[in-house]
Amino acid sequence: MSEAAIHVANLEKSFPPARSGWRAFLQPFEKPTVIALAGISFEVRPGEALALLGANGAGKSTLLRILATLLLPTGGRAQIAGHDAVLDPSAVRRQLGYHAGSDIGFYSRLTGRENLRFFGRLNHLSSAVAAQRIAHLAQQFHLEEALDRQVRTLSSGTVQRLSLARALLHEPRVLLLDEPTRSLDAIAASEFRRFLKSEVLRNGETSLLFASHTLPEVEVLADRIAVIDAGRLLACDTLAALKRTTGAATLEDAFMRLTGRAPQLTLEEAPE
Amino acid sequence: MIRSLRELWIFFWRDLSIARTYRTVFVLEAVEALFGVAMFFYVARFVDSPQLRHALPQAGSYFAFSLIGFVFLDYLNAAMDTFDHSLTEARDTGTLEHLLVTQTSLPVILAGSAIYPFVITTLRIAVYIAWGAVLFGFPLRDANWLAVAAALLATLLAFSGLGILSASYVLLFKRGNPAKWFLLGVSSVAGGMLFPVSILPDWLQLVARLNPVTYALDAMRAALLSGADIHAVWRPLLVLLLFAAVLLPLSMAVFAWALRRTKTTGTLMHR
Repeated sequence: MSEAAIHVANLEKSFPPARSGWRAFLQPFEKPTVIALAGISFEVRPGEALALLGANGAGKSTLLRILATLLLPTGGRAQIAGHDAVLDPSAVRRQLGYHAGSDIGFYSRLTGRENLRFFGRLNHLSSAVAAQRIAHLAQQFHLEEALDRQVRTLSSGTVQRLSLARALLHEPRVLLLDEPTRSLDAIAASEFRRFLKSEVLRNGETSLLFASHTLPEVEVLADRIAVIDAGRLLACDTLAALKRTTGAATLEDAFMRLTGRAPQLTLEEAPE
Repeated sequence: MIRSLRELWIFFWRDLSIARTYRTVFVLEAVEALFGVAMFFYVARFVDSPQLRHALPQAGSYFAFSLIGFVFLDYLNAAMDTFDHSLTEARDTGTLEHLLVTQTSLPVILAGSAIYPFVITTLRIAVYIAWGAVLFGFPLRDANWLAVAAALLATLLAFSGLGILSASYVLLFKRGNPAKWFLLGVSSVAGGMLFPVSILPDWLQLVARLNPVTYALDAMRAALLSGADIHAVWRPLLVLLLFAAVLLPLSMAVFAWALRRTKTTGTLMHR
């Protein structure tokens, strides 16, 4: 059993080539030839926040989805709290909370409370414990008013917070966030980050692995940063160490020096 | 076991809660059922004759015979639609991946998503038959309700396997479902829905004997119209249970394989 909250060793993932027309019928049976991850290794320590920083198509979401047991790797190993994502996916799911960063993924005709109760019960919380956790998280995430409204009437920012509350309902050891502020405007994104930092990471009990191409997000939230490009891990270190080793003044500069190309990164700077 | 039952209840509660936000649909469906029953009543009155009655298995009215056939088509439709519809809807609303990262197993997610549609289809069938009985003389006096319940349960189990196979196809290929159209097409001709299979040519009677719909209708008509008890309908019930014993594990294995393929190819959330 590994001591790390997340242990990824030589992880590889390839997909079959995308097809259209009648050839699409053959796609489920085609050999995987398009490389998304090319042997990535790293660890996330208990209580640590690690950012996966990379341009679109770098392999960040693929990596998170393998850890969330939504994708099967082509090779290598991915473990959460010592449990293998391929060999023991149900044990992995007990330990993780997953937030995909979009404002869909809820039953829009149900209220926030009904949605949270549903997913809480599917994570084996008793009715009483689910109610207790919902009340606690609603207070912590300022969701009291949203709880008794249908999800379709809530703003994107509120749905994002609701989604984060869902991911934390069963008190997972590891939180996986895939571009958590993707569908938020700059101010809502900034509030979300501040909220994540103060309410989720403050206790030091939850390990966080999140994918982002928003530089302020990475700088605010991450203890360490893993720079990924074309499925390869180029560096994994603290912000200060990345700047020092690359001789860069900023994270953007460090990223460009590591990857050798200008990224499609978001440089939005909102009030923190 | 108790945990799985609780989880199944949670899915039913979810679907019931969503359905309660569309209350007028229940009223509209009840009215639609009334028109459907009236149509069958007048068609039956138009074609009814002593020869026709003699040709029917229970020697009863063509109205009763055809209404049972028609409402069971609804049941088959629900079975073939329920699983792939739940899957498509979950994929489109983005809830699928959130369901798959919970600690609830895939078979429970699938079964849970099917409970409400099956319950509501059963209720719809009851509404059709109730309209028929109250307004058009559908004969319910002799019905053996225990045998009716047994026939419904056996039918549900046999049809579920077909539905899960259909969902596996949608999971892999995303759209369309030739198996569903083939089965519905075959069943409308060689299933005994609107006419007895005995009038078909021999080779189509053979097809009908391989079709679970034929046995479901045999059991249901015998239990509802002739008051046959479970002992009297044991043969079609046994065949339905045999279909279920083969199709359910097979369909679950095929679905698990299809899910594994989509997790390998990365097409789980593709539309």
